[in-house]
Amino acid sequence: MIHILLRDLEIPDIWQFDTYTANGGYDGLKKAVHDLSPAETIQIVMDSNLRGRGGAGFSTGRKWSFIPKDAETTYVVVNADESEPGTFKDRQLLEKNPHQVIEGAMLAAYAIQAAAVYVYCRGEFWDLAHALEDRIEEARQANLVGDDILGTGWDCDVHVHLGAGAYICGEESALLNSLQGLLGQPRVRPPFPAQMGGGLYYQPTVVNNVETLANVPWIIVNGADAYKKIGTPESPGTKIFCVSGHVAKPGNYEIPLGLTFRELIYDHAGGILNGKRLKAILPSGASGPVLKATDEVLDAPLTYESVAALGSTLGSASFILMDEDTDMVWAAAKMIHFFKDESCGKCTPCREGTYWLDKIYARLLRGEGTAHDLEMLEKVPNQIAGVTLCALGDFAVNPVLATLEHFRDEYEQYIHQPEFGPEPAQAL
Amino acid sequence: MNLINGFATTIKHLLERPVTVQYPEQERAVRERFKGRHALKRYDNGLEKCIGCSLCAAACPADAIWVEAAENTDEERYSPGERYAKTYEINMLRCIFCGYCEDACPTEAIVLEHKYRLSFHDRRDAIYTKERLLDPPPAGAPDTPWVTEPGTFDRAIPIMQDPD
Amino acid sequence: MTKTATIMIDDQTYQVPDGINLVDAAKLHGITIPVFCYHPKMESVGMCRMCLVELGSISVNRDTGEPDLNDDGSPVVRWFPKLQTACTQTVRDGTVVRTSTAQVLEARDNILEFILTSHPLDCPICDKGGECPLQNLTMAYGPGRSNFIYDDKLHLDKHVPLGELIYLDRERCIQCARCTRFCDELVGDDVLAFHERGRSLQIVTISDPPFDTKFSGNTTDICPVGALTTADFRFGARPWELDEVPTICPHCPVGCNLSASTRIDRDFGGKKMIKRIMPRQNELVNEIWTCDKGRFGHHHSRAADRLQHPMMRQGGEWVKIDWATAYHQIASKLKKYADSAGFLAGPTLSNEDLWELRQLAELTGDTPRLGVWPAAMTGAGVVAQVGIGVNTRLQDVGPETAILVIASDLEEEAPIWWLQIKQAADRGAAVVVANARETKLDRVTHTVVHYDYGDAVAVLNSFAARARSRRKTSKALLDNRVDGYDDLAAGLKGTRVPFADAADVLLDAENVIVFAGAEGLTLDQHRELMQAAANLLIITGHVGRQNNGLVPVWPGANVQGALDIGFSPETTASLIDEPPAMWFIGGADPAADDSQAAHVLANAEFVVVGAQFMTATAAQADIILPRQSFAEREGTYTNGMRRVQRFYAAQGPVGDALPDWTIYAQIGARLKGPKPPVSAAAVMRAITQHVPRYAGMGYSSLAHVEAQFPDVGGDDLYYGGTAYANHGGLGVQWATDAEDDSARLVVRPAQIEKPEKSGDLCIVPVRLLYDRGPLFEPSDIMHQRVPEPYLELNSQDAAHLSIADGDRVMVTAGEIQIETAARVNGHAPEGVVLWPRRLAHGPAPALFSACSVQKIEE
Repeated sequence: MIHILLRDLEIPDIWQFDTYTANGGYDGLKKAVHDLSPAETIQIVMDSNLRGRGGAGFSTGRKWSFIPKDAETTYVVVNADESEPGTFKDRQLLEKNPHQVIEGAMLAAYAIQAAAVYVYCRGEFWDLAHALEDRIEEARQANLVGDDILGTGWDCDVHVHLGAGAYICGEESALLNSLQGLLGQPRVRPPFPAQMGGGLYYQPTVVNNVETLANVPWIIVNGADAYKKIGTPESPGTKIFCVSGHVAKPGNYEIPLGLTFRELIYDHAGGILNGKRLKAILPSGASGPVLKATDEVLDAPLTYESVAALGSTLGSASFILMDEDTDMVWAAAKMIHFFKDESCGKCTPCREGTYWLDKIYARLLRGEGTAHDLEMLEKVPNQIAGVTLCALGDFAVNPVLATLEHFRDEYEQYIHQPEFGPEPAQAL
Repeated sequence: MNLINGFATTIKHLLERPVTVQYPEQERAVRERFKGRHALKRYDNGLEKCIGCSLCAAACPADAIWVEAAENTDEERYSPGERYAKTYEINMLRCIFCGYCEDACPTEAIVLEHKYRLSFHDRRDAIYTKERLLDPPPAGAPDTPWVTEPGTFDRAIPIMQDPD
Repeated sequence: MTKTATIMIDDQTYQVPDGINLVDAAKLHGITIPVFCYHPKMESVGMCRMCLVELGSISVNRDTGEPDLNDDGSPVVRWFPKLQTACTQTVRDGTVVRTSTAQVLEARDNILEFILTSHPLDCPICDKGGECPLQNLTMAYGPGRSNFIYDDKLHLDKHVPLGELIYLDRERCIQCARCTRFCDELVGDDVLAFHERGRSLQIVTISDPPFDTKFSGNTTDICPVGALTTADFRFGARPWELDEVPTICPHCPVGCNLSASTRIDRDFGGKKMIKRIMPRQNELVNEIWTCDKGRFGHHHSRAADRLQHPMMRQGGEWVKIDWATAYHQIASKLKKYADSAGFLAGPTLSNEDLWELRQLAELTGDTPRLGVWPAAMTGAGVVAQVGIGVNTRLQDVGPETAILVIASDLEEEAPIWWLQIKQAADRGAAVVVANARETKLDRVTHTVVHYDYGDAVAVLNSFAARARSRRKTSKALLDNRVDGYDDLAAGLKGTRVPFADAADVLLDAENVIVFAGAEGLTLDQHRELMQAAANLLIITGHVGRQNNGLVPVWPGANVQGALDIGFSPETTASLIDEPPAMWFIGGADPAADDSQAAHVLANAEFVVVGAQFMTATAAQADIILPRQSFAEREGTYTNGMRRVQRFYAAQGPVGDALPDWTIYAQIGARLKGPKPPVSAAAVMRAITQHVPRYAGMGYSSLAHVEAQFPDVGGDDLYYGGTAYANHGGLGVQWATDAEDDSARLVVRPAQIEKPEKSGDLCIVPVRLLYDRGPLFEPSDIMHQRVPEPYLELNSQDAAHLSIADGDRVMVTAGEIQIETAARVNGHAPEGVVLWPRRLAHGPAPALFSACSVQKIEE
């Protein structure tokens, strides 16, 4: 198995600058600045059909191509605010293979001729952020970052910024606000970050996930066609799957897109803990709808399209697995509590709706739920979805709607058999 | 014959107890729902129920009620919450005793009670001020204003139960 | 002519100005799109989601540019898959919206249900109840009943002071951010912010002192719920009980249109009193804003210590007299001192008062001496030539315009102009701030000119010289309409241009507006400053048009009116230099401002003072006439942009006080003058007949109201439930000579006269908004905002005198000696002691008088 991203598995010291360069590191950047025009760089990435790994799966090359050609100042922002429950891939990349991320970010910066690159790390990454600054300094010493890069006269520096610990700052426009020192709340779009007025300091800006950028050096060096040979045509390349929950071997698994759920869970991750049966899968952390572990699901391929067809999203591919003993109402309650806590409060439906749902779940878990509550669990999410300012509102209702769809009987039990349910200590 | 019938009826009624009562020496009991003179009520603890919201004045079809509100403080508290009636007057000459004020009141502070002795020597006496309308504090409860602990009476409208 | 766009709303086609906000566009045609967070004066944020609509656009064939058509001939509409917020859309050709489909109605219902989950149901005690957008929209679009369990409601603090003026009820707040955005975007004061997130999101003040802005009251107006209330009004009355009376702010030359919300009150003897002051929409003046001085500074009209009866001094005692006696006494004295009487009009006298005062004065002689107070600024003739163009709207000023503010600390002297200039700067207008010291306006621009006190005229002359050297002069104007240009040109020859960058900012703009104050200028210097400003504007052709011309920052609400009616500051100066035997003073307090004037008055033979309070001047009087405040009477004020505006009687009378014009007319009648007019309107009619510029300004014209855009102030409480609606008139602005193509314009060299600095440290008096003037001091609510008396020292000077910031010092300037606090904050230039006027009781020393400052050891 070849690792494009988690190369530390083969070369443990790849975080060191010398090791990284000895293994072809920064060749992509050198190739781009010496041999490729920015437009050609974008074209290669576009041809590779690399799709954003942050969750939305949007074509990275197209995102870059939206930057207005006449823009005077542009920025690249690396979204390292890895806050989705069950996601821990960016952390490993930044910790074990940081230079590849820096190189990817510099390639993006070259492609749009950015004035600077900002790496926005979540607040809890402080140790990692300080280490990353050292790595950037190494690259700066090697003239790969900073002024007059590789003697081409192009200046672009990389800065690391620590967030203050808000889930919403993983949303790109809230991230930009936070980076600017404003309240971490999403902005009205349009204008989108790539447009004039929408980006960092209101200049056109490319915001990419850490993993997305880590793919770029390989693509530049090996070409778009080579990349497309991995994975499926619509979802090419490899993807890091963060597997956690009731699983024998939790961890990050970099596999080509297109393998099946079953292969990931049973072949790579060693199956379910203690040999229990798999009950449900959260394929993209808390924000995607939960899937009931049926054979149909387990045999489906892991691509953006097929997971969507199953009624969920691949998102950031953070697989939280739940075994047969899991109380799905409790699990949904946990997720709603999370979203209620992390709602920024800017728009009404999300602010008030998550609070409302949280109150209902708390009542259910106390054994005080009523039929009215169950009715509201069906109604309130539909009042939130589709009318919020950013996607968090849409995400927040997924745990409710999906668990209701697949595990309604458990809700019924909570209402009709109040003695059912976890011990009070386990409740919220 | 008819004459006898007529006298019989008269005589029968002569022997009955008279309907009239010797008002004002004697007061007749009124029906439970009789709407007489208003009273401003208090809570059991002695605080005034009226919050000076003027909704009674707004509802009054005869424009008989005049309310001026002011802010409660913890040093000088008349009612729960932030607002109380600084001035509360009802002009009994205007009042038509329709009870709309009672309906409009969000705190059940104004109630049309059973008193109906409402005659005056002077038109100005017909204006009932807050002092005249307000019930005395219940036995043992202190009269307003109070000095209260901060945060103890911060809600004007009693916490409602869910209608369901 | 602005471009129009054709849009479709609910299947009807409408023409609207291209590029305006969709909500405003719908409102123009009477279609309601409900909003909470959107406000036409602010950037839209799409937070409340109340304005959700179905949005689409007509599909246009790329090749032909023609709309694609369905089979039935109707245009193909591409709809957004989800509902969109109308407030974040601007209209353009082909915009299609549906505002009343089942989907939209359900969404509104849902949003209201969400907003009401945490909103308390204490409408009965809420000050907004009755004029509350949330109430109205809930009635119109909301759910009949909530599905939310009542016990789940959040209970939060209901009494959170955001400073001493504004209180926050955290339960009622719906997180629309109008208040924070107002402070942030419009004012630029970093005072309010959101704290926390999610349902814990809350408004907090982040400044020290809290909510430290001069515009805080406006946040309570734009709050769409009762979350923000003013300490002034809290629980004062229910909105439906209030009687809105249009009035004009008597505090500064902006002339904010205000609405006095009045109600009878037992505590005011059963008379009508002002319960609160609200801004009244006039897009040509104050839009929908007013400063906290205007809003909270109305208590003087019913202050307990107001003068209530005419009084006469007899044997050193004040004796109450009746009006007839007062009239008779004064008339006989005026007869006696006919040749030597001086008349002084204060800044809050209305035009009607001024006119009758002039009529009275003219009964004593053909050339009466008519002075205006404060006599700090002059230039009536210059304003009549090149005053700002008629119908200028500062809110429309953008990148094509440059604004010069010279010798004025605008935020302290005319806050709403400051606010409007700040916003103009945000829109791209070039702002040049010229003063001898740092002022708050400096922060809105990069072009700041700091000259030495005394050099203001030289700065303007250098700008004019630069205009000549860069050939930025207006040939058409100079050739055809200007007199005296040759002299001016000769005078400007060889003038150094020390601030060329600033000059170029002005010279390169399409429009130029100059705001001129008088800080650090003597009256003679100020006359030259106004001339220099006029020279610059005339030779560059920035006169006689909208968004061009001169705005004097007069030291009072109706100084412009006084000048128009024939009072002059030069006469005031001559009255002090050659004092008359008898003084007749109306609404002025020279003794508190000027020690020389106080001295002169003390030596006068007979002094008549019309006053609201026992001021220092009134205390010197032989007869005191109690005058009515602006609140009890009708009248007109002329603001700094020459707009004549009506105010109406809002409050019940206090004591025997009368409007000044009645008093003057009654005295006049006893001097064989005409029969006193019966009403203020009749006086105004006389003015329209005799003062040419005021022709056509009868009360009915002044009361005329037109529809204004954006339609913020409608009685429909659309954008906010307050008393913005203007039912009192937009006023009429008189046109300058420059606007009359046949009129000649005169320029002449402006003389530079450097002041004599008489010592190492000399005093420059400055004006503060919050002072201890007689019309502001009775507003107890503002006392925390009025600083203790202080003076500002330069850090070098302070170091020299071993004075640190906050030290107590003793200041001696001539006869004046006062103990005060010292501020060393880097604002005062070296050698200058800034002396805020009217912070301490007692006159300020004269400009540039030498002083000594000594630290008082503890």
